[in-house]
Amino acid sequence: MALVAAAAGWLLRLRAAGAEGHWRRLRGAGLARGFLHPAATVEDAAQRRQVAHFTFQPDPEPREYGQTQKMNLFQSVSSALDNSLAKDPTAVIFGEDVAFGGVFRCTVGLRDKYGKDRVFNTPLCEQGIVGFGIGIAVTGATAIAEIQFADYIFPAFDQIVNEAAKYRYRSGDLFNCGSLTIRSPWGCVGHGALYHSQSPEAFFAHCPGIKVVIPRSPFQAKGLLLSCIEDKNPCIFFEPKILYRAAAEEVPVEPYNIPLSQAEVIQEGSDVTLVAWGTQVHVIREVASMAKEKLEVSCEVIDLRTIIPWDVDTICKSVIKTGRLLISHEAPLTGGFASEISSTVQALAPSPRLECSGAISAHCNLCLPGSSDSPASASQVAVITGTCRHTQLIFCISSRDRVSPCWSGWSRTPDLK
Amino acid sequence: MAVAIAAARVWRPNRGLSQAALLLLRRPGARGLARSHPHRQQQQFSSLDDKPQFPGASAEFIDKLEFIQPNVISGIPIYRVMDRQGQIINPSEDPHLPKEKVLKLYKSMTLLNTMDRILYESQRQGRISFYMTNYGEEGTHVGSAAALDNTDLVFGQYREAGVLMYRDYPLELFMAQCYGNISDLGKGRQMPVHYGCKERHFVTISSPLATQIPQAVGAAYAAKRANANRVVICYFGEGAASEGDAHAGFNFAATLECPIIFFCRNNGYAISTPTSEQYRGDGIAARGPGYGIMSIRVDGNDVFAVYNATKEARRRAVAENQPFLIEAMTYRIGHHSTSDDSSAYRSVDEVNYWDKQDHPISRLRHYLLSQGWWDEEQEKAWRKQSRKKVMEAFEQAERKPKPNPNLLFSDVYQEMPAQLRKQQESLARHLQTYGEHYPLEHFDK
Repeated sequence: MALVAAAAGWLLRLRAAGAEGHWRRLRGAGLARGFLHPAATVEDAAQRRQVAHFTFQPDPEPREYGQTQKMNLFQSVSSALDNSLAKDPTAVIFGEDVAFGGVFRCTVGLRDKYGKDRVFNTPLCEQGIVGFGIGIAVTGATAIAEIQFADYIFPAFDQIVNEAAKYRYRSGDLFNCGSLTIRSPWGCVGHGALYHSQSPEAFFAHCPGIKVVIPRSPFQAKGLLLSCIEDKNPCIFFEPKILYRAAAEEVPVEPYNIPLSQAEVIQEGSDVTLVAWGTQVHVIREVASMAKEKLEVSCEVIDLRTIIPWDVDTICKSVIKTGRLLISHEAPLTGGFASEISSTVQALAPSPRLECSGAISAHCNLCLPGSSDSPASASQVAVITGTCRHTQLIFCISSRDRVSPCWSGWSRTPDLK
Repeated sequence: MAVAIAAARVWRPNRGLSQAALLLLRRPGARGLARSHPHRQQQQFSSLDDKPQFPGASAEFIDKLEFIQPNVISGIPIYRVMDRQGQIINPSEDPHLPKEKVLKLYKSMTLLNTMDRILYESQRQGRISFYMTNYGEEGTHVGSAAALDNTDLVFGQYREAGVLMYRDYPLELFMAQCYGNISDLGKGRQMPVHYGCKERHFVTISSPLATQIPQAVGAAYAAKRANANRVVICYFGEGAASEGDAHAGFNFAATLECPIIFFCRNNGYAISTPTSEQYRGDGIAARGPGYGIMSIRVDGNDVFAVYNATKEARRRAVAENQPFLIEAMTYRIGHHSTSDDSSAYRSVDEVNYWDKQDHPISRLRHYLLSQGWWDEEQEKAWRKQSRKKVMEAFEQAERKPKPNPNLLFSDVYQEMPAQLRKQQESLARHLQTYGEHYPLEHFDK
């Protein structure tokens, strides 16, 4: 508690100093200046870092799905929804404010194109939205429900966990609601604070019967969303809201599917496996390149993509190869999905290379009330609690054991000192 | 958007409104979006009138401070067709159902009653784990079921077995579900009385209360879109009506214009909680108008009243795509379930009154007798026959094994994911080594 108070005091002093730009605040914190800055100049870094704690890294233009178009995340979601409504005459989209286009513009133009009986507003009631969606799906029609923010999904928790997830099982497969998909904006956006930033995937991971999917990019989002909609099980599709506009890349115009329950190895490596999902994938990608550059460490970067049922084999295979695992997510540490991954890997990976439990680290975001997107505040907290969100800080904690007393595994591996 | 701009111009002290601005004024809501309820359309914008312009309500001003008093002393009247002696009160309300149909109503109710007695006993004897009877509410089930088409989708709560009985769900399957044996279509996964039948359009029951209400609304919406000419009926008790899901369902049904019948069985108790502790307003029927829903209260122990109300509600729900709320007043004669002893919270006299003086089965029997369609001899023969049928099904169900333990893992997803397969294999290995500690002889191999 004293440590937290000290951190808070330090933070206030920094703010009072009126420092502008995140990098300048960080310099004032006394951390090794040159070490933290990437090869580019300080000014470039300040501009690049001012907006977000990561840099979106687009994937190479997909060639196998036909004509592509530059789309951001909300446009790629919109495209997927458009494709779905065109292909499936029973498909309907509903939720709060979807009719005029949605608060994140994911449904713009769809009501005009497909009609008011197919794209419509519901009253402000999440338990009603999901319950209603289940009912549509029970009749065999395709229901695409929107929950305006993942933070507000909890009133629907009963309908999701007790009803949707169990519909097929409890009825002996007489009935099911497999054609239900729930979409919801997810994750940190910088200014969202407690109630527009949450990552609730861990709550749902504990619920057999549903699938939970989180894309890292527009191309991934469209393919994964289409797979969710066509999947014969109720799915929850969390859309990283910070990527809605910030992430743009070439996305096929025609429909295509990316399989569920398959993690993707984005970058191969040999020394450590880094696992993340959603926005955090871009953070660990940067960590990987910094590690390569500064420490000559080769990182294998994996995007989990489906939280449940998750791709145990790909992760285990990678950890058997590298011997070390680092999982990073925005959600709170305790009971976060990293704990499921790390305990499963430890139980299943029968490799002598897996040295000790300290070789698996979970790095998670600490959501402070009213937290702004400030690496300074996060770093100070990270020192105390071992959590962080930013590329620089994961890298810093991973490589400098004196600031991360929890990660004893790191200090034991001499090549990473 | 033009409307918004025009509105912005209007909202200043009401002088000097230009002619051009007046021309820009359009009726909000009249943008080609059809409204089936005329009272939803709003008044023309005009600052020359002193009428309210609020988008949220269509009403006049009043300059007297007056709170609306909820009326619970003389609540919504209860529609009935027969008196307690089974005589038609108002001949114009007599549905004039043919003899076969009325006999089917009677036999469904009595067969259900017989099955209830035997299965309640079987729980007491440790043969099944749990049971819920339907005593006193049989009229609500068969009266409503008889007014529907066979393909109308039913979402129930747990005390609507009579609907399935009326739809000729075989005794063997009722028993199979209660015993959780290999004949159970539900594969033995749920507690007794959680019936479901795809063929008979009866969605499988789940234990959480009122969750079926918004689901039924969604199903009705899909039926409307499919032009299926189907209604969805959703049953629930007056206790479940307190859940948030009930509020959600009512509101969605009204705003989204769904062809659904909300059928509330108000039987006086939610386990031990009497209605005086469940709500303070005039029951459930009075809530309907608050949502914009056509509502009626009926005598649930009068099969013909239930029939008439459901029949008319069905006709209009499908024709007009709007929800209907029927609150059927009745009494739960039995305990809540085999886990309950209701003498702890109500008097035996109260229960006896309903059992003896106002029972749906007796009232219909009086009607049958007065029509000359039934007599004492047929009654005796039917009692014997129905008991025999039930006992046969019961003995068969007793003998059957339980489903294979592998069925613990299937149907969680449509396809079995790798992790579940591993767990299934792990259980299989465990049973190979330690099977002697488990009653495997009762389970299908």
